[in-house]
Amino acid sequence: MLKTERSHRLSAVATAPPTGLRQRLEAVVGRDHVRTDEGALLTFSTDSTPLERGRPDAVVFPASAAEVAGILRVANQLGVPVIPRGSGTNLSGGTIPHRGGIVLVLTRMDKIKEVSDADLVAVCEPGVRTIELAQAAAAKGLLYPPDPGSQTTATIGGNVAECAGGLRALKYGVTRDYVLGVEAVLPTGEIIRSGGRLVKDVAGYDLRRLLCGSEGTLAVMTELTLRLVPAPEASGYGMAYFNELAAAARAVSRVLASGVLPVTLEFLDQVCIGAVEDYAHIGLDTSAGALLIFGQDGSAAVIEHDLERMAQACTAEGATSIRIAESPEAAAEVLEARRAALPSLSRLEPLTLLEDATVPRSRIAEMVEYVQEVAQRHEIKIGTFGHAGDGNLHPTAVLDPADQKAIHRARAAFGEIFAKAIELDGTITGEHGIGMVKLRYLERQLGADHMALLRRIKTAFDPNGILNPGKLGS
Amino acid sequence: MNIAEPEPEIRPEARGVFTPELLDRCISCGFCLPACPTYELTGVETSSPRGRINLMRALETGVLGDDDPTVLEESSFCLGCRACESVCPAGVQYGELLEQWRDHLWHGRRRPFQLWPLLWAVDSPGRVRAMGLVRRHAGRGSQAAGPVNLMLGCFERVLYPRVSREALKLAPELAVPAAQGCCGALHAHNGELKRGKELARELGDALPGTIVSTSGGCASHLAGVLGSERVKEFSQWMIERERPASSNGTAPARNGAPRTQPSGRRLRIGLQDSCHLRTGLGVWREPRELIARVGEYVELPSAAVCCGAAGSYSVVRAKDSARVLDPHLDEIAAADLDVLVVVNAGCYRQLQQGIKRRKLTTRVVHLAELLAESELAWRQTPGLTDHAPVVPRTANRLPVGASQQGG
Repeated sequence: MLKTERSHRLSAVATAPPTGLRQRLEAVVGRDHVRTDEGALLTFSTDSTPLERGRPDAVVFPASAAEVAGILRVANQLGVPVIPRGSGTNLSGGTIPHRGGIVLVLTRMDKIKEVSDADLVAVCEPGVRTIELAQAAAAKGLLYPPDPGSQTTATIGGNVAECAGGLRALKYGVTRDYVLGVEAVLPTGEIIRSGGRLVKDVAGYDLRRLLCGSEGTLAVMTELTLRLVPAPEASGYGMAYFNELAAAARAVSRVLASGVLPVTLEFLDQVCIGAVEDYAHIGLDTSAGALLIFGQDGSAAVIEHDLERMAQACTAEGATSIRIAESPEAAAEVLEARRAALPSLSRLEPLTLLEDATVPRSRIAEMVEYVQEVAQRHEIKIGTFGHAGDGNLHPTAVLDPADQKAIHRARAAFGEIFAKAIELDGTITGEHGIGMVKLRYLERQLGADHMALLRRIKTAFDPNGILNPGKLGS
Repeated sequence: MNIAEPEPEIRPEARGVFTPELLDRCISCGFCLPACPTYELTGVETSSPRGRINLMRALETGVLGDDDPTVLEESSFCLGCRACESVCPAGVQYGELLEQWRDHLWHGRRRPFQLWPLLWAVDSPGRVRAMGLVRRHAGRGSQAAGPVNLMLGCFERVLYPRVSREALKLAPELAVPAAQGCCGALHAHNGELKRGKELARELGDALPGTIVSTSGGCASHLAGVLGSERVKEFSQWMIERERPASSNGTAPARNGAPRTQPSGRRLRIGLQDSCHLRTGLGVWREPRELIARVGEYVELPSAAVCCGAAGSYSVVRAKDSARVLDPHLDEIAAADLDVLVVVNAGCYRQLQQGIKRRKLTTRVVHLAELLAESELAWRQTPGLTDHAPVVPRTANRLPVGASQQGG
């Protein structure tokens, strides 16, 4: 109880917009880059998280680290919350200003400063879109592997702040594995750098890694140095149907035990297969219990060899049918099944609740069966798809937002799903973050001592609690 | 979602401005942001499709009023290009929402003043016909409607009368009665949804049977009211028209001949998609296919992005319209195009003016003009099979330029 009070005392809450806020922000960024009109405040009250909102007092668009520092100094003096934001595709309410304050939008800082094929790094500002960075790297024959579902819209700054995952995590890792260096502005206005262009650098605490996944609660990143790898020559894909999900999960284990590290290992459960087929009409077998999509990149010989091995592993675990895509068009068809999963589910009902509970690979079948059991018990439609290779599941509930009882049932169902994930040595969030919607579950996973340490770290960076208060570290 | 602590959510009374199912569809994923030209210009959420849908929702629930300056500004800043629809995973019908938005807001003093004379001019078929009297378009006063009719358009018949003449040359079976009005798209997109639909139905009555339109925007609106079975855009209809022939093994004889510049270089031809044609009717392959028969088709990186004409937008918001056009002009210059093809009257005017302002040498022509010129060149060179002289590049030596001046 004491801790809660303490954290509240240390967090800024804007009860009423401080007088002169707009003028002081204008002095930093200029008149054209501060919005306080009611309509604009409304559109920055939400991100991609359903059902949550919070009205800010001002929205500000800085163009440089110096301007970011100026804004943070003003906010620190006035004790006003600051919520950093990129494109607002967050799924955990991480960019929702639920305690008011200033939304700090970094989309004007959108320059790719360098793509170096000698050092295999890219240096860019936080407002660059992930896809743009990936394209700039590809133009030099390089690959920036993290590819979160929102990559066409989301920014690199947001990806790093949330430690975004993606479809290639099993083979290539997640965003944190590619952050070599950051420049960041502390909530008190100082500008620091951690890491740089080096693969090896152990001078000081690994702050760049600490900031990666800090969800905008410790500092505002203003420049990122990212690791690139040589682009693979090509990629190939295949798919396999199973009567039950447990068999598909065993096939995944067998694939990995066979010495193959695939770039893609995605699955759809029966609910998703049905939804995708109803929507996209791509000829999926809706009687199957699970669909596994597998893929490899590299040289043509490696792809052929590995796809063959993966097909053998699926056969050995009782796959009812297997298809290897022989052409790019066929590959696109295979991937379409996975790509269409979320759109298909979201069209069933207006409200889509997308979660990201994650379990060790070996517990996937157990977890997905549990999700189905919970869904039936609470009379909620939940489809589960996700990254079979890394255990990152996306149980997705679809419901009518007008049905308050259904929303309550969905909340209860997800509460049980998170508890189960923790019980199976998993996590309540694999890639979406804690934000404002999962903070209450965090202590269950981390324990009280760990939570206390997080709060001390938060206080060390942000003594007045102005950066994204009431979220991680609070 | 705040999972553990449900709060009783009070849903304010809906005002009935929007169809609830259309407004509910948006899942706020934000995938529309990079597709939106006005978001690309500003980088501000408020000027994105997701932001505007949030404004619509606030208007619907009364959180923001009809006179809220941001609501009014965004209702007119939006181009209405519907590029957001093509990337939306949830299938939001943004175009319909925008029509309902403007239908509710844009009355009296809230309507942009520039719209009054435009809407007045095209509101009556008589006035539209009178406007066209001074220009030599393909319409014939005495002609009755046939099984397949060419639509003259309202402003198109005044600004670009040659388009209908060339379309008729390419397809002489088209009936072109002069007694036809405006399709109503201008009304529908600018706050008079009901009148816009009425005008479409009136045009449907005046032209029973199939209606072929040389303007993508008109075709899309008309198809929305009369059905896409009856309404065809020109390139779409041209391709469908030859299908039976090619399936019999008799491919169109001349169209396969590659065309070259007098210098020996094949013509480099780009296209500006018509937004509503592409997004509303799903027609984008057809014009490309037809162009590729005439020269070297060059896909501009922003071919599918709105050029800023956007119906009356170039009149109502001239400055923003020019800002949207600028990157297109950069691409046209960089691509070293001989010809830029348009398939919509608004785009025609927008690109012609932009190219003139930039002093580029690229010619802007409608697809019908391009195809007709290519036919003509072929006919005038007997015995030529795979090399045909083509239209030279400078506008003032051209029949196109001449006809535009003289009508």
